[in-house]
Amino acid sequence: MKRRTFIKTSTIGTIGAGLLPVSLLGQEQDPLPDAVRVDNGEPAQLFNQAILSLGGMKQFISQGDIVVIKPNIGWDRAPEYAANTNPDLVAEVVKSCYSAGAKEVKVFDRTCNDPRRCYSNSEIEEKAEKEGAEVSQIRKNKFSSIKLKQGKVLKEWEIYKDYLEADKVINIPIAKHHSLSRVSLGTKNLMGVMGGNRGSIHTGFDEKIADISSEILPTLTIIDAYRILTRNGPTGGNLADVKLQRSLIASSCMVTADYLGMELFSLPLYQVGHIREMVDRGINKYDLTKLNLKQIDLGS
Amino acid sequence: MVRTRRITQIVFLIFFIILFLKARYPYDDSLSSDLFLRFSPLIPLFDFIGNFSLSWLFWPALIIIILTIFLGKFFCGWICPLGTTIDISSKLLKSPSNKLSNKFDKLRYLKFGILIASIILAFFSINLWGYFDPLSIFNRALTAVLYPLGTLVTETILLQTSEISFLEDPAYWIYDLYKEIIMPESQAFVQQVFWITALFAIILGLEKLSRRFWCRYLCPAGAWLGFLSQLRFYERIVGEICPVCNKCQVECKMNAIPESDVSLTSKIECIECFNCGSLCPPKKKAITYRWRWKPYHTPIDVTRRQFITTSAASVVTLGMLSIGLNDRKNKEKRIRPPGSLPEEEFLNKCIRCLECVRICQSNGHCLQPDSIHNNALELWAPVAQMREGYCEYNCNLCGLVCPTEAILPLALDVKKKTPMGLAYFDKNLCIPYAQNKDCIVCEEHCPTPDKAIKFELKEIILPDGTAKIIKYPYVIRELCIGCGICEHKCPIPGEPGIFINTDNELRLTKEDIA
Repeated sequence: MKRRTFIKTSTIGTIGAGLLPVSLLGQEQDPLPDAVRVDNGEPAQLFNQAILSLGGMKQFISQGDIVVIKPNIGWDRAPEYAANTNPDLVAEVVKSCYSAGAKEVKVFDRTCNDPRRCYSNSEIEEKAEKEGAEVSQIRKNKFSSIKLKQGKVLKEWEIYKDYLEADKVINIPIAKHHSLSRVSLGTKNLMGVMGGNRGSIHTGFDEKIADISSEILPTLTIIDAYRILTRNGPTGGNLADVKLQRSLIASSCMVTADYLGMELFSLPLYQVGHIREMVDRGINKYDLTKLNLKQIDLGS
Repeated sequence: MVRTRRITQIVFLIFFIILFLKARYPYDDSLSSDLFLRFSPLIPLFDFIGNFSLSWLFWPALIIIILTIFLGKFFCGWICPLGTTIDISSKLLKSPSNKLSNKFDKLRYLKFGILIASIILAFFSINLWGYFDPLSIFNRALTAVLYPLGTLVTETILLQTSEISFLEDPAYWIYDLYKEIIMPESQAFVQQVFWITALFAIILGLEKLSRRFWCRYLCPAGAWLGFLSQLRFYERIVGEICPVCNKCQVECKMNAIPESDVSLTSKIECIECFNCGSLCPPKKKAITYRWRWKPYHTPIDVTRRQFITTSAASVVTLGMLSIGLNDRKNKEKRIRPPGSLPEEEFLNKCIRCLECVRICQSNGHCLQPDSIHNNALELWAPVAQMREGYCEYNCNLCGLVCPTEAILPLALDVKKKTPMGLAYFDKNLCIPYAQNKDCIVCEEHCPTPDKAIKFELKEIILPDGTAKIIKYPYVIRELCIGCGICEHKCPIPGEPGIFINTDNELRLTKEDIA
């Protein structure tokens, strides 16, 4: 190391160290934001920045928790087609859960194409398992029926047991165009833990999806907008329809996250029936008109 | 020798089963799953009749044929997995000795009859032999019966055990292991299971009447190998000291030793199981085996009259197959796997081994053994049943495991552009048209990069006078590849609102993919 470099580095280091307590102090004074949007980064980087702004993973995960991570693994497509959640992001979330003290992290999805093809081609199985997650196929005997107390159309539906029994749930949808529901975000992603004839949810979609998903809200919602599918969703299959957005949205309120996710597609709330239905029913934790949103641009 | 033979039989049976289990996604083609099926000695014979050339694809069978000329029917006694299963069944059912089963020996001509009929029909491009090919029969039984039944029972037992609280962990531990090694895919369900079971059960059950009943009297592969083994020079030699106790004659699996002279062996029947040598009284050991070049002819058990009757019967069959009504309503629902040869050639080449059905059960679940609708030849040929499964967009495995290339091994990018059929809407059922409600599950699942199902927005007036915009789906013929995921996922009960027929299907030939 050159002397000049040493001096430079140590000076920056000293100043940085001096600023550290100041910044920590500053954060403690500000209340934690309702939601975070981070732009211009790589998947793991985006997530780490977002979770830091939300007060760290320990805000959501306690020691010894059994955590379910629900990414979108619905399709037999490689990550670059933006039909499934980014595998690097899922892996980073798994890692973060364990370092926050989680006892076990489970990853699964009820897929639309052949489940083993989806798990493998999405690269989620490989990368999440590498971080120690238990990535398992859906077992048909593991659904149990729950009562939908606020259900307008549906009164009960089958939900995957592992999801119901988990201490904490992290929902990681990928932001996608969807022909029927306009966008596929957190609310739509929860279809992956629903049993029964899911096709029948599609008639009267807005009300039915709100009936079920409001009953099974996750602890944390992280919208993967690293690559977003802008047309031909939710299956995609054409790289020309994929936009490299390099963003991420996170909130403890799924409806808030979805509301912010719509902006990626320049869609107003009145055009997205199922999210509007959730808002109309007051499922959102935060007032969407007075949202404490933290926006971070990593600019790299 | 008998022990070596038994071990070899078990090893080949296990090898066959391993290849069978290997036929699944993810498929590792370094060892092709259809390898053993290409051991069938009938394959090169009928391939030659089909196009008057020998294909290197069938090298395992060619090796068997060449060895048979010198060694005799060792394939039947040592390798054939159906033969091994029959031997096991024979032990369980306690087959009678040849003293009792001698009376069936007049049926021996039947296997030659089946072979002759198969050859005659093959000249008219009709595949009869595939139904009787022993390897095909065994693979069919594995695919349609043994494997699905085995997995169903195992899974049920394990899941039931896991309900008992203190057994939950060990049961799931075994279950995970079972899921990894035996059945990573979901439970297979196969149509025609009753008839395929019936045929297999009859073959095994006939052991109650005689040892190796199927091999002695019915198997066309055995007949063909018997015909070839006239030249064999590995011989059973009966020494002078033979006390003529007739033990070898009575217990011979194939009844290949004539009662009148135990020193003779029928070259056509003997499968070289070496039981005779081990049964020979220990003090005498009159029977030895030796290489000896002394050609002699064993007459084939077909009389001229039987030959003529068989030939006439096959011509009548041919006629009946030709005058059957080809009802368009059924015919155009017979969707074949992607890469299938043109229909007539396809049905001629397909040996109904169900290897494609097996590998399809491990992911798309659309291929099923067909039943007879108009024409007997449809039986057990693979047909896509889209309502129950669909063709996975990223899968081309059925073509990779077809032993006779009746389904061509298409590259994945070619397969994705080869239509199996075309989707049609039934607007009387389809929810947006029939009920004026949004649905478009079909459009959502359509896998082509530019979706073959599109929708248009139309405003309708509801009974209460309010206007509502509904998405009405329709099909783009040029984009649709007939994969059937739309038919499979259509949420209405029973008859689907969208279905596939053979319109627009593309049948390829070997030249097309060269």
